[in-house]
Amino acid sequence: MIKSYKLRRHLANGFIYLLLAVLGIIWISPFVYLVMHSFRAEGVTTVAYLIPHEWTIQNYIDLFTGAGGTAQLNFPRWFMNTFVVAIFSCIISTISVLMVSYAFSRLRFKARKKFMNVGMILGMFPGFMTMIAIYYLLKAMGLTQTLVALVICYSCGAGLGFQISKGFFDTIPRALDEAATIDGATKNQIFWRIILPMSKPIVVYTVLTSFIGPWTDFILAKIIMLDSRDNYTVAIGLQLMQDQQFKNTYYKQFLAGSVVVAVPISILFLILQRYYVEGVTGGAVKG
Amino acid sequence: MKKILAILLAGMMTATALAGCGDGQTSGDSSNPDSSGTGDAPGLAELDAEGFVDAAELGDETGATIKVWAPDAAVNLTQKMCDAFAEHYADKNISISVVAQGEKDAATQAQSDVDAAADVFGFASDQLDNLINSGVIAECAYTDNVIAMNTEESVKAGTVNDKLYYYPETTNGYFLVYDKSVVSDEKAQKFEDVLAACKDAGKRFIMDAGDGYYSCIFTFTGGVTIDGYADEEQTVQNFVDYDEDTAVATLQAFAQLIKDYKGTFTSLSVDKIASGFADGSCGAGIDGIWDIESDSEKLGENFGATKLPTINVNGEDKAMISMYGYKALGVKSTTKYPLTSAALALYLTGENCQRQRAEQIQWGPTNKTVTEEDVVKNSAALSASVEQSKNSVAQVHITSTFWDPMANLGNQIIADEWDPSNADKTKELLTATIKNIKDE
Amino acid sequence: MTFVEYKQLNPFQRFAYNFKKTVISAPKAIANFFKAIGMAIVKFFVGIGKGLKNYGTTFVKGDWATKLSYIILGVGDLSKGKYYKGILYFLTEVLYVLFMMFFGWTYISKFGTLGTVKSHIEYVGRAPKTVLGDNSMLILLYSVLTIVITVIFLAVYISNINDAYKHQLMRAEGKKPSTIREDVRDFLDGKYHITLLSFPTLMIGVFNILPLIFMILIAFTTYNKINLPPANLFTWCGFQNFGDVLDVLGGSLKATTFIELTKWTLIWALFATFTNYILGMIVALMINKKGIKFKSLWRTLFVLAIAVPQFVSLLLMNQILQTDGALNILLGYFMGGNPHIQFLNSTPLMARVTVIIVNCWVGIPYTILSMSGILMNIPEDLYESARIDGAGPMKTFTSITLPYMLFVTTPQLITQFVGNINNFNVIYLLTNGGPTTENFYQAGYTDILVTWLFKLTMNSQDYNLAAAIGILVFIVCATLSLIVYNNSKSMKDEEAFS
Repeated sequence: MIKSYKLRRHLANGFIYLLLAVLGIIWISPFVYLVMHSFRAEGVTTVAYLIPHEWTIQNYIDLFTGAGGTAQLNFPRWFMNTFVVAIFSCIISTISVLMVSYAFSRLRFKARKKFMNVGMILGMFPGFMTMIAIYYLLKAMGLTQTLVALVICYSCGAGLGFQISKGFFDTIPRALDEAATIDGATKNQIFWRIILPMSKPIVVYTVLTSFIGPWTDFILAKIIMLDSRDNYTVAIGLQLMQDQQFKNTYYKQFLAGSVVVAVPISILFLILQRYYVEGVTGGAVKG
Repeated sequence: MKKILAILLAGMMTATALAGCGDGQTSGDSSNPDSSGTGDAPGLAELDAEGFVDAAELGDETGATIKVWAPDAAVNLTQKMCDAFAEHYADKNISISVVAQGEKDAATQAQSDVDAAADVFGFASDQLDNLINSGVIAECAYTDNVIAMNTEESVKAGTVNDKLYYYPETTNGYFLVYDKSVVSDEKAQKFEDVLAACKDAGKRFIMDAGDGYYSCIFTFTGGVTIDGYADEEQTVQNFVDYDEDTAVATLQAFAQLIKDYKGTFTSLSVDKIASGFADGSCGAGIDGIWDIESDSEKLGENFGATKLPTINVNGEDKAMISMYGYKALGVKSTTKYPLTSAALALYLTGENCQRQRAEQIQWGPTNKTVTEEDVVKNSAALSASVEQSKNSVAQVHITSTFWDPMANLGNQIIADEWDPSNADKTKELLTATIKNIKDE
Repeated sequence: MTFVEYKQLNPFQRFAYNFKKTVISAPKAIANFFKAIGMAIVKFFVGIGKGLKNYGTTFVKGDWATKLSYIILGVGDLSKGKYYKGILYFLTEVLYVLFMMFFGWTYISKFGTLGTVKSHIEYVGRAPKTVLGDNSMLILLYSVLTIVITVIFLAVYISNINDAYKHQLMRAEGKKPSTIREDVRDFLDGKYHITLLSFPTLMIGVFNILPLIFMILIAFTTYNKINLPPANLFTWCGFQNFGDVLDVLGGSLKATTFIELTKWTLIWALFATFTNYILGMIVALMINKKGIKFKSLWRTLFVLAIAVPQFVSLLLMNQILQTDGALNILLGYFMGGNPHIQFLNSTPLMARVTVIIVNCWVGIPYTILSMSGILMNIPEDLYESARIDGAGPMKTFTSITLPYMLFVTTPQLITQFVGNINNFNVIYLLTNGGPTTENFYQAGYTDILVTWLFKLTMNSQDYNLAAAIGILVFIVCATLSLIVYNNSKSMKDEEAFS
């Protein structure tokens, strides 16, 4: 009986290993394909086989030197732009999200529920509908076609994403706050000295999600930047390479660019994965 | 209180930032929409040998700073031309910057913020109506000169309600490109021969039949062509009177050929043509002028180009009719320097500059003189472009509802399950497509 | 009924219980929702009435300084020694007046007509130059801005009066107004929520709410491609755009398209949400199963799909799924000859299934990440007793894991459902709405409402129509999630952990 139980478990585990391996391959293979073809020397756009015949790093060199075509593309600059925008918007976003979620989780005040309800549904209006308005508001402030405008756009709505981190704060026992209050601490001190140090996972989670935003947006950034190529981000830059007039010249550089964008984010994700899981779990249980 | 202060400060910032803006935009009390000043055409302007107008035409505009939009491939050349322009009028102290901006998006970009748009911008002719409707483009100031210099078709495409708006720059469309080692020059004249030659060589014929821009060939060739709008509001496409039987027969002929050459005829995006030439999987295709450089680079000596071939419908060889547009320059209606911008646009689209572009970046001219010159005659692609533009419907005055139904028609006709012999079904599809385009 | 009690029911009882609960609670929830909205409106007007009454009585009872505060803000506070607040009130008034004089009034005065002065052309020598008239779009936008600022100013104005009266009463009682130091401390403790929320609220107000009001108003105007600013004026047109979209009986192409796309959007959201949810959970269970090694390796394989930006991974997927793309090539290796399967562009069913499957590829990693932790929290004894009863893995999943997870994560599910209704990226980048059809207006078979909306704005500049559709989508999503959230377990037991 015991033996057959063990056997069954081994069989079951073996089956699971097999399934996981197959699924893993399915999930990873598009990226393997992407990386392989970013090193492809021959061909123009796609080719009729899976593994490149000749390998080269020319695509990456061209990407960073702007060679290999007549277009006015400046990938290194776009990369720096995106990096700067991502850093600033992630700082502002993180601070706003934490402030809002702490207020909703720990403080009790009039209209708290109403605020939360409004906050929840605001994000449900199709976002790009409001872009014309955002553009002209930024223009009124003289900020269009600048990186500052992007930072504002990416971080302004951050406060609305409070659900997960509010859920996380909700799981921190209230007894801690109460003890601190008896010791004479203000709410401000409780926030900075007690809650924040315990919230590493959710801080990391917020930082990660808001850092990625600027790398992936390809609609709003284009509307704000118009013809100012020097201030493009990688997303619109890569999108530009897919344009009809460039596709034949820049397709392989597009692949290389995609890899260059994906690698740092992936590494960041892999390193901080543990916190991400903890943060999102804590938040979701209570969210 | 912090909150209130912050809001008010922000409001205040906004107010000061906008004070200037607001003044500029609220016009005087003139509620009269009529134009003031001299509205009648000033007639032909004298051009010197290089294509410059007399300095007097620039009026008293000095120290003009002008932004020009040109597509990436033309930025360097355009900058050189602009420098020459500035130098010619050295005492006017003009400074011109050329900024890269694809023609496809130019109108959208200009509309979304007129203030940030270039004073002189390159755009594709199908966007003309949008530019006129939103008032972004100014009328052409040198109408007589443009008419005198350029081909009739190119001028006609830029004329709306008897007013010419743009300065035509180059032809913009697609034609047949082929590998001479697969399809001989002679065989390239007939669609049947092209497909047969490709099939014999085991290579593909590539056309993007799932894009309305190309698939309109199927209906245009059968006489179902478009002619402007049917209504004042420019929302309904007007079709010319056509013979339904001919149209259906032509569609059937296309469908039959495509079915007969299944595996040879492939519907893929046009960028696959250059790839196909590179790896030897493609024998011929219908490709646009923007891809000619990469196509010819891959094929070298074997690169061939000609106007679209004929197709045999009920025993008669019919020339394929395509959609053909133009790239043109427009002057922004609100530019601070209307005279300088107009003179610059005229110069940039003049004979001299068109010749330079034809020679250096292979742009097919619209200028009558340059069209007849060796630079065009010696280039297969440029002459194909000029020839095809004669068998075409101008890509202007097209409703936004045109493209999707037309793409759908292409997709249906090339589908495996489509039955070319079924005339009723074909007629049904044609009727539904036109109905959908007209949004009825 | 608690979860444990629920677990003790047999499947039939459970079904009956759930069914009853849903049927009973649905109308009530909807009714409650609208009742709540109604109550809020009533409260709002009662509040205004009360405010007006206070406004009058305070004026009668106020001393000279309080009375003067009705015209010059901050006088009351200044006269009672509350200097910094008085100065702030006064500055607010000055700024507001300046704002209205130099900016606000220009626009708000034209709000009713959205502009009357047309652009006209003047000739400079031979060249025409357009002199712009009113810009309806800017008038609308900046009017909204002005209205919002005015409302805020009114709030400040009222608080100024109340504050003046409060200090008047305090002086009468012989108390001193609080010092700056005390006020600062109050803002860091008792009123800490104001400190925390003001900055995010300001940002959200300017860049989310204000544009939103603008977009909502657009739905009631004639802002489309024939009335494009700056050359043309557009104006108000009431509910005409909604009429166009909802004109189902008229059988217009737009109305048919709207109905068909709504159906598909709901089907899509349902499938996209539940396939991700259930399959993701199964994969997460496998990874986290006892005795499975290399957990982090497995997780990493999946997580990569999150780390690569969607416009890259989905464009890549689009190319892989083309007739001569990598998947067909791969199938060709096994089948001996490229099958040229049209995944994205043949039949509607094929394309729709493909989209849902690719969405699994995109979404399952998120589920794995967010569910792993919760799955580990399921009480072990539940599984223990199931095992003793001889339940297999399938049975355990359907009767323990799934109900437990549904119980705990309903809010997430709703968020995801709403997120999928608005899932622009997957559809836009993968199929761009294809396969095409002659039966829809400006849309293909896989277009969902948001992508249709995007096409309407970008291709045909039907801003007004798009805004109307946007509002309809928004109403559905918002109602749905408000009802579910406010009735959900975790919302009701907010204090459970504390």
